[in-house]
Amino acid sequence: MTNSSNDKPAAAGRDEANWAKMVSRLKVSQVPEGAMNLNVDGRQLTSPIQGFGKMWQKTYVVRLPSERVAPTELIATWRKDFGDFWPPGNHFYAPLTGIEPGEVALLNMKVPGMKLSTGVMVLYADEESFTLMTPQGHMFAGWITFSAAQQDDATVVQAQVLMRASDPIFELALVMGGHRQEDQFWIQTLGNVAAHFGHPDATVDTKVVCVDRKRQWSRWRNVWHSSAIRSAIYMAEAPIRGARSLTHRTGA
Amino acid sequence: MTTREALAHVRRRDGVAVIELIGDLNAAAESALDEAWTAATTVRPDAVVLSFENSGYINSTGIALVVGLLASARAHRIPIRAYGLTDHYREIFEITRLADFMAIENDEDSAVQGVGGDRNG
Repeated sequence: MTNSSNDKPAAAGRDEANWAKMVSRLKVSQVPEGAMNLNVDGRQLTSPIQGFGKMWQKTYVVRLPSERVAPTELIATWRKDFGDFWPPGNHFYAPLTGIEPGEVALLNMKVPGMKLSTGVMVLYADEESFTLMTPQGHMFAGWITFSAAQQDDATVVQAQVLMRASDPIFELALVMGGHRQEDQFWIQTLGNVAAHFGHPDATVDTKVVCVDRKRQWSRWRNVWHSSAIRSAIYMAEAPIRGARSLTHRTGA
Repeated sequence: MTTREALAHVRRRDGVAVIELIGDLNAAAESALDEAWTAATTVRPDAVVLSFENSGYINSTGIALVVGLLASARAHRIPIRAYGLTDHYREIFEITRLADFMAIENDEDSAVQGVGGDRNG
């Protein structure tokens, strides 16, 4: 018996354009003004299996009346204005071409005491869903899928995270309140999406499942790529960079 | 976009549980996959083989379901292998790095025998 890819149903090929093409390492094509580009260029993508911590599936759901917005319209808006729905202080620098398969976006996140710089790649995008995947050094290894679907008379809007903390430091941070902070982030985001479509008081339901309780201790070395450590070093070096730049200008 | 309902049949061959995936692998496939996994692992197999020969469209939620199976397999130290993927989905398994943890074989015989060795990631 052989793998006969030509005999497959047509369905198998219909989504080819929705998936990102193979990349060995990420490349940021253009850095938007104001964005900090750290911890993305040259990094490999990480699936939930490459991370360190326990594996979690977190699902955040909000229901909107379907006469208010159809799933495809909602996803089109969400893809177009993705960063606008984020809680204040966090920045999603969308690629110039928008959320399209294979595109890389920069993230500058507000975390206690610092600004953390990382990114994501658009792994998958169609009319009813899109998925972002994280690179090495991101807070978590995994992906997050945003979707909308019609159920009875409602448009059900969902964000589903499948992740492990990337390294022991992020795992500790998750245990020490990071999970709650992350939940709040996505609850607020979905609330903002609901508000955009006229339902500011919509309730966001959260379901958290621990898919794998084991920590992968062999992955502790992921800490080498930690965006938190590297962002902190970058911030600490800011005065030196400033002084160098001044000297350079004075010299010129 | 038409979809094909997901089914998952389990059979045993040489101590290996083969889960044959039929139809589209998306959010609607979750219960079929869960039931198949339970049936495949109730009596511990030497390995689990996922057959994608008759599967159709796979979206990112479907890939997440496969990750869930991989996590269970790793937790129970059961090797997991796959065959029957088209070139396109082989590439998707590479991009999502599932291929780091799952040997992808060309046919059922190779997958059952584990000729390519098992992956530890």
